[in-house]
Amino acid sequence: MSKNLSQLARRQGIDNTLFQQLVVTDAADKSDSLKQQRQALAKEYLMGEAVIHGAASFYDFLDDGTNSHNANKKAYVCNGSSCLCAGTQTSVKDKLVNHFGADNVGHVTCLGRCAENSAFQLSDKPSLVNFSGKDIDVLETIANDPSTQSNEHYLVQCMLAEPILTAEITDVSQYYQLFTQLFDQYEQTQLLDKLVESGLRGRGGAGFPTGIKWRSCLNESNKEKYIVCNADEGDAGAFSDRYLLEQRPHAVLFGMLMAGALTGAKTGVLYIRAEYPDAIKQTEQAINEFDALNLNNDFNFKIIKGAGAYICGEETALLRSIEGQRPVVSVRPPFPTQSGLFGCPTVVNNVETFGSLHFIFSNLANEQNSGVLKYKNLGNGKSTGSKLLSLDGAFNKPGIIEVAMGTPLTEVIKLAGGFAKTVKALHIGGPLGGVVPLSEIDKLTVDFESFAQHGFLLGHASIIGIPESMKMIDYIAHLFEFTALESCGKCYPCQIGSVRGQEMFEQAISAEQFINRELLHDLLETMQLGSLCALGGGVPLPIQNILQYFSKELAPYFSSENNHQGEQS
Amino acid sequence: MSVQNNKQAFLNGVAYPIKDDETILSFSRRIHDTQVIPTLCDDTRLEPYGSCRVCSVDVALTADGPRKVMASCHTPINEGMHIYTHSPRIEKLRKNIIELVLSDLPEHTLTNSQKQPHTEFEQVVSKSGVSEVRFKQARKSITSVPLTPNKTGDNSLCDDSHPYMRMDLSLCIDCNRCVRACDEIQGEQVLSVAGRGFDARIIKGQDVSFNESDCVSCGACAQTCPTGAISDVFRQQLASAQTDQTVEIDKIRTVCSYCGVGCNLEVSVQNNKILSIEAPKDAAVNSGHTCLKGRYAWRFYDHKDRLDSPLVKIDGKLTKVSWDHAFDYIAKRLTSIKTNHGSDAIAGISSARCTNEENYLLQKMMRAVIGTNNIDCCARVCHSPTAYGMQHSFGTGAATNSIDDLKQTEFILLIGANPTEAHPVTGAKIKQKVMKGTPLIVLDPVKTELARYANWHIQLRPGTNVAVLNMMAYFIIDAGLVDENFVSTRTEEYNDYRQAILALNIDELAAIAGVDKILVQQAAIAYANANNAMSFHGLGVTEHSQGSRAIMCIADLVMLTGNIGRQGVGMNPLRGQNNVQGAADMGCQPHQGAGYFPVAEADNIRYYQKHYQINDTSLVSTSQWPTEIGYKIPEMFNAALAGDLKALWILGEDVVQTDPNQDHVVASLANLDLLIVQEIFLSETAKMADVVLPGSTFLEKSGTFTNGERRVQKVNAAVTPKLGCKTDGEIIVDMMNALGYNQAPYDASDMLDEIAQVVPFFSGITWQNLGLDGLQWPVAKGGVDTQILHIDSFKRGLGKFHFFEFEESQEVVQNSEQFPFILTTSRNLEHYNAGTMTRRTGNEEIVSEDVLLVSYEDAKAKGITNQSQVRLFSARGEITLTAQLSDKVKQGILFTTFHFPELMINRVTGDVTDKHTKCPEYKVVAVGIEAA
Repeated sequence: MSKNLSQLARRQGIDNTLFQQLVVTDAADKSDSLKQQRQALAKEYLMGEAVIHGAASFYDFLDDGTNSHNANKKAYVCNGSSCLCAGTQTSVKDKLVNHFGADNVGHVTCLGRCAENSAFQLSDKPSLVNFSGKDIDVLETIANDPSTQSNEHYLVQCMLAEPILTAEITDVSQYYQLFTQLFDQYEQTQLLDKLVESGLRGRGGAGFPTGIKWRSCLNESNKEKYIVCNADEGDAGAFSDRYLLEQRPHAVLFGMLMAGALTGAKTGVLYIRAEYPDAIKQTEQAINEFDALNLNNDFNFKIIKGAGAYICGEETALLRSIEGQRPVVSVRPPFPTQSGLFGCPTVVNNVETFGSLHFIFSNLANEQNSGVLKYKNLGNGKSTGSKLLSLDGAFNKPGIIEVAMGTPLTEVIKLAGGFAKTVKALHIGGPLGGVVPLSEIDKLTVDFESFAQHGFLLGHASIIGIPESMKMIDYIAHLFEFTALESCGKCYPCQIGSVRGQEMFEQAISAEQFINRELLHDLLETMQLGSLCALGGGVPLPIQNILQYFSKELAPYFSSENNHQGEQS
Repeated sequence: MSVQNNKQAFLNGVAYPIKDDETILSFSRRIHDTQVIPTLCDDTRLEPYGSCRVCSVDVALTADGPRKVMASCHTPINEGMHIYTHSPRIEKLRKNIIELVLSDLPEHTLTNSQKQPHTEFEQVVSKSGVSEVRFKQARKSITSVPLTPNKTGDNSLCDDSHPYMRMDLSLCIDCNRCVRACDEIQGEQVLSVAGRGFDARIIKGQDVSFNESDCVSCGACAQTCPTGAISDVFRQQLASAQTDQTVEIDKIRTVCSYCGVGCNLEVSVQNNKILSIEAPKDAAVNSGHTCLKGRYAWRFYDHKDRLDSPLVKIDGKLTKVSWDHAFDYIAKRLTSIKTNHGSDAIAGISSARCTNEENYLLQKMMRAVIGTNNIDCCARVCHSPTAYGMQHSFGTGAATNSIDDLKQTEFILLIGANPTEAHPVTGAKIKQKVMKGTPLIVLDPVKTELARYANWHIQLRPGTNVAVLNMMAYFIIDAGLVDENFVSTRTEEYNDYRQAILALNIDELAAIAGVDKILVQQAAIAYANANNAMSFHGLGVTEHSQGSRAIMCIADLVMLTGNIGRQGVGMNPLRGQNNVQGAADMGCQPHQGAGYFPVAEADNIRYYQKHYQINDTSLVSTSQWPTEIGYKIPEMFNAALAGDLKALWILGEDVVQTDPNQDHVVASLANLDLLIVQEIFLSETAKMADVVLPGSTFLEKSGTFTNGERRVQKVNAAVTPKLGCKTDGEIIVDMMNALGYNQAPYDASDMLDEIAQVVPFFSGITWQNLGLDGLQWPVAKGGVDTQILHIDSFKRGLGKFHFFEFEESQEVVQNSEQFPFILTTSRNLEHYNAGTMTRRTGNEEIVSEDVLLVSYEDAKAKGITNQSQVRLFSARGEITLTAQLSDKVKQGILFTTFHFPELMINRVTGDVTDKHTKCPEYKVVAVGIEAA
């Protein structure tokens, strides 16, 4: 990261970010050449032209000045893990190519339509629209009629007696009254203590205690602070954040409002990925509704729309992205609570984390039955409250399920109606989460500790069923390929390691080379120990799980185990 | 950083004290453990980046506790940590990472590193013990880099478009040190990265060539690059010389001779030839940074145009003669002039480009051998008002603080200076501060680079500094923001000043200066509210008819707000030439001798006579000793024209090209009986000389330069003087002896000892104790130097407030009706003054003409198009040059540089000078302009 660029971005403020300018100029009519537009931006933002070009060229959906870029396509086919496992995408792509022509079809990694699969996005409509399931069958109609909406449907279930994240919000005005009441009755520090007591931990995957994070931000002396909602839900297979933003946006806004009041921040920024146009629309509408309430509060919301880069889900990359820098991962310390957006103390939390706040702070005065107590009493003591799970099309009843922390995984599968096809493993927690073979499922409960203890990762709790038909060698190659495509390119273990891993497996698949087991081991260890962030550091986990639990299936690809394979001699 | 009480951590099992803000890497480096942690992406001058991960170490909280791998460059060291820098798994991790890096580089990289590691990267590879790259058929990221046509027209990976800079991405390891150096050191952001992941690659601008980019050729990227992927023509020359291990390459540390920043340089020399110049990382002044002049513009030193023999004008033609002949000839002529017309018919102009020792010698020769105070130097035409004004306000005519104080300051006031062009390393430091949020006021008629970043750019009309500075004082007093305690205890004559300021008509002043009074008010209030504000000024303050007065107005603001006498504050002139501070310190002024003693006072006369061994029988006897103040430079020309001055000795100054009103200068010189010029090239002035003495470049001589923060630094000869030339110190010593004065042979150390006897603030300086980074005067016995002046009291006792009314320059009063535009002039980054040196280097390829900046409004009114030829004329003369339309100047204002004297810009400039010091008003010239 560059301190200079952070501070130059700060001069312009959140309402005039270079990043959103890049998104706008890229989409705008090109009366001036792209080069001149970016020259003008460089002058306006007092930054070098290379900074503008460098930042823009990072994103999938911004023109990088070459002809082979992925920007400005008419249609994008989802190539995320769930759609891969569902096996739907070859035919979806064929149909899109058939209709739009090969040059007009790009790719996108996960539209969050994992419950239905067959996902694609059309962008030659007035705005981006996502489709899935049977929509592709009526492509002609969709393409010809801009007003056609997707027929998406997925189930939302709750295993709790009293829903937390899935609770409906019927009266928005009344919903926000809690905020006013709380600050009439309690001091900032009392509320922070209550939050710590609830045991809420970050739902993005790392599970850091939320109250502690907010308190450290409060303790910073700067006047300018920010609350950032990480809504860059890039994990293939995950769509719980999309669900919340589309259907419970006020829960998220309320959480951010609380965060602002408890840390002294006046601005709440929602970084929502461009792949989720409906989430952006619904959140915008919710912000308008919030503003209309005139709560007499000086907290402002701002939506920043992503442009296609998985790494922006990493909090420091996300902050750099907002600042208009290349969204590469920054070193820590300083942590965002010390020096985050524009170099100011910043709380970055996941959508779902914010979504829990209203429940936690409800009935605070009721000592026996306060939200804090109820929340704390769910779970195993270390992982408290509830968790949303995203279940993909491999289940009979795919969709969102809210469960109490500590719920046995088998119960979740039961509620989801079991598997719709023969599944040999579950990929839980996104591309960096573990691959759980069927044999291990009954050992797991939905909480951070159980997963860690068994060598897996709860992560953001998306669940993809890997069908029997999926070759694990292909799945590993897919994971390496995903990492190679999405690596920010900063640290060597991830930047180079992911490509070497991909090559190793592709060469094995095409029978050019056996895999050198020692070299693979060294590579995975190097990525795990040496990477700067969780992308390079995390992808070895599912690969090691597969190597451990599916060694027999993979044996023919390793030189030491098998020299008899005619095709690989 | 201070050592915390009793806090310690363990490095490979041994306990050491730790410091605040240390990383594991900086902790381990401070301990000098034998097991050095390798890194690829770290440069101590840059923020920790954490990309290579080669610096990873094992960290445990107890000796036998569980260990975690952490990157040492960005992990803070904490009390009780156990660091293991070379555990088996760490060594394996490093090997594996380096193997990955090698897998993306040409195959010979590994063998080269094993055989003969030269680059930083090859040395890390060699030490890592990697013996093979196990990945088969590995794709190389370089295959995705587009080829571009090179100079020979072939499509190539190598960018050779630029006169100096080179790029070859096949060697790049994506450590981004170049990108970070460009941003964090120079502040240009010319470099960035395109794409992401494996195929991310370094770009210039919007992916253009070096030559097409906005690169300022500072070379910071080339210096930090660990592989040579970004390099320059000289580093490449050095690298290929290194492969021949039979001929040794010497590294000589010296000081740049281009500006008053005083960058240290490290010169690589083989067989008495310079291969390359770099900036030493440990230099206090420039910490491994310098600009394209210091780093690249040195090829003039062995240019074919160098003089190689003394020349004497015989039958109207300069003819090569022996040194003996030249000295005899001069001695006879000078003696004759002295006999017939008196000592005061002879004068000398010294050079701020030369060393302290040489300046000292020339003034000594004029005073003790010739017997006149007619000695001046080019400070006259630049910062003489600074010396005069600051002496009157504070008692010392030099920067009160050090450039390093920028680290502490919280506010910057920049007046009439364009440091990113004229003082690039200081300019870059200021830019870094400002980009990171330190508030900045810029007072300048031109929208300079720093003005773009300023919070308040007060774009005043040239020549109205006093008006705007008085407005600022008014708003500070009016808002009740005066530091009353400081003013009452440390200053005098405040009440009169206050009354006069409050009586001003602010609206009228705002109209005169063409500024928005609200903007001035906001700026003044912000300045007064800052805890620690530092001011910098340049020739945009001094080169005016009210130059000295504006200096005293700045001093008033500094005293009003108490911004003096501690770290992070003060009043700091940005000295133009490398040794302009020193030339004045050494006494190259007609009114003050070495050490600033006024020359007409009896005590001082005795003082100098004693030190120069003057007695009744000496060459200049006690009774012949000059007792009157001598001529200032403009007075010398007038006296020559009037026939009063007969002989002039000029050391390294091309007055024909650089002094204002050229026709007048030429006529004056032509009227002399004897003109002696010490030069390295046959300059326009040298062409008019009767005797030309071939001197030496700074690369060929030893001595000291004093930079703009009073830092006396060692200049060490990197090569011997060109055959036929002598160092300028030797020339003067030989001349003194030829004239009959017994001056010991030139030796830098001995000369410094003599100076230390005469100049009180040099009394503690010896050649030995100057060390690598020099000392800031005053230096007391024992070598104790001074970073900050006027801490408890001013040199003159109390600081003195001065009030001056704004006065319009006579140049404007007399000529504005006929010549309604105002021309102002300045330097650019690439060239230095008359271009004598820089134009004999590759810099000429980068900028090859002076252009005239014209506002869009004026261009429209006059029918002038971009890049067209225009006529520029004043009451003195007319020239033609290229116009460039620009938003850097306001309507009615024109701007140009003065590096291409063939344009004769000084044919246009005028005769008005500063009232107190006779410093010419280069910055305000009434002109007219028409399309040519």
